[in-house]
Amino acid sequence: MTTIRYSLGLKTIYLSIAAAAISLFLVIGMKNRQSQSNVVSATPISADAVTPTTTLEVEVIMSQISSDGTKKLNMKTTDNKNNSKTYTFSTSDGSGANEQIVFSKTLDFKRTMSIPYNTWSPDNKYFFIQEHGEEGDSVMVFNALGELFANQEKYLDLTGLFKQSGNKNNFSVATGWAAQNLVIFNTTTQENTKGPSFWFEVPSRAIIQLSTQF
Amino acid sequence: MAKRSHHRKTNSSRKTNVFLIPLLVGLAVFILGNIFIKPRALCANSATCKTDLSLKIDNNDIGIFAGRKVIPPKIDLAHDITKPSVLGTNAPSGEKHIYINLATQTLYAYQGNTQIMQTPIASGKWGRTPVGNFNIWEKLRSTRMAGGSGADAYDLPNVPNVMYFYNDFGLHGAYWHNNFGHVMSHGCVNMRLIDAEALFSWAEGPASGQPGTPVSVCNEFKPPNLCVQNNPIK
Repeated sequence: MTTIRYSLGLKTIYLSIAAAAISLFLVIGMKNRQSQSNVVSATPISADAVTPTTTLEVEVIMSQISSDGTKKLNMKTTDNKNNSKTYTFSTSDGSGANEQIVFSKTLDFKRTMSIPYNTWSPDNKYFFIQEHGEEGDSVMVFNALGELFANQEKYLDLTGLFKQSGNKNNFSVATGWAAQNLVIFNTTTQENTKGPSFWFEVPSRAIIQLSTQF
Repeated sequence: MAKRSHHRKTNSSRKTNVFLIPLLVGLAVFILGNIFIKPRALCANSATCKTDLSLKIDNNDIGIFAGRKVIPPKIDLAHDITKPSVLGTNAPSGEKHIYINLATQTLYAYQGNTQIMQTPIASGKWGRTPVGNFNIWEKLRSTRMAGGSGADAYDLPNVPNVMYFYNDFGLHGAYWHNNFGHVMSHGCVNMRLIDAEALFSWAEGPASGQPGTPVSVCNEFKPPNLCVQNNPIK
């Protein structure tokens, strides 16, 4: 009799502990699911907002200021008589003072040049510019002070170096800087689908494939 | 006979208790758990989310991002006092509102009907930026943000002009990368340093019982007045 009562008592305790553990597990699981599902599920709603009428901030197409506002990259375009254009790039302080010409190139009408939005490296030591043509874009990386690179090069030809690396993907676009000396660029595969992203490390010129796409 | 029947009754009621008591215990734990256990808070910066949402200036420290050392900008609070506000100084009065368009990675700031700012941002890549309608709950001129693990670990002192809008998710300047217009953060809204500085001086934190400037994070934002949100968190 005592044994039966004892074993029933033990059973009750074990089952109670098990029930408590299951309940606790359910509660924690439920709570965490709540906090996650708030971010991922998809029930579109629309919220009314104010109606803007004017834009106060105007973006100047021919120059790009650095993130901290202390440096500016300027592009001056000159039309030539032979239907070509000369692109002259200069750096200056954020105010426009202390202008220094860094690079100049003349292109026929089929090709153009531009300054990307994220042109400046985070520490303002480098910048990159783009050349656009029918056969694709190319990217050139410069020292902000106009100094030559190790092999007396005026600039580093990112797209050329990528081709030389033997990678079968095609260069697509340089989006900006992942760190003080890392240009992020995207590629496309030979089937024209999105390929992997890469870092181009300045000035080691290393090309590093990333596991994530930008 | 009567004794035997009494025994049977006692045994069956004991057997009932064996299941009834655990059931009641389980139910009690479930109910109490629901009341007392809080859901795990979403954090952008896993290392500093709960320990360091305060003003912090570390002018002599070196930061780490993408496995590389990064020198943070020096922050001088005394110098800040002399700086004039540059954003919306001539704007008409009206409610201030900040919108984030995650689809285009763009931030819009309005005062009344006037658009004060439109600029590329970098939202969550390694962690989602929460969609919803929030208010700035804390403004910090500078703080430290750290988190991630392995190759993704980062530790960034002197993150400037931080405007927290949900837990440790905030708008702030980013000195360690320049990839705005593309996802690049752990959930915060990264801005160019000059943009973050301008927005910081314009936006308001909570004061006198009033909430801070509203921040709407939208999956899509269609100017002039449509913020599309997929199941907003708030």
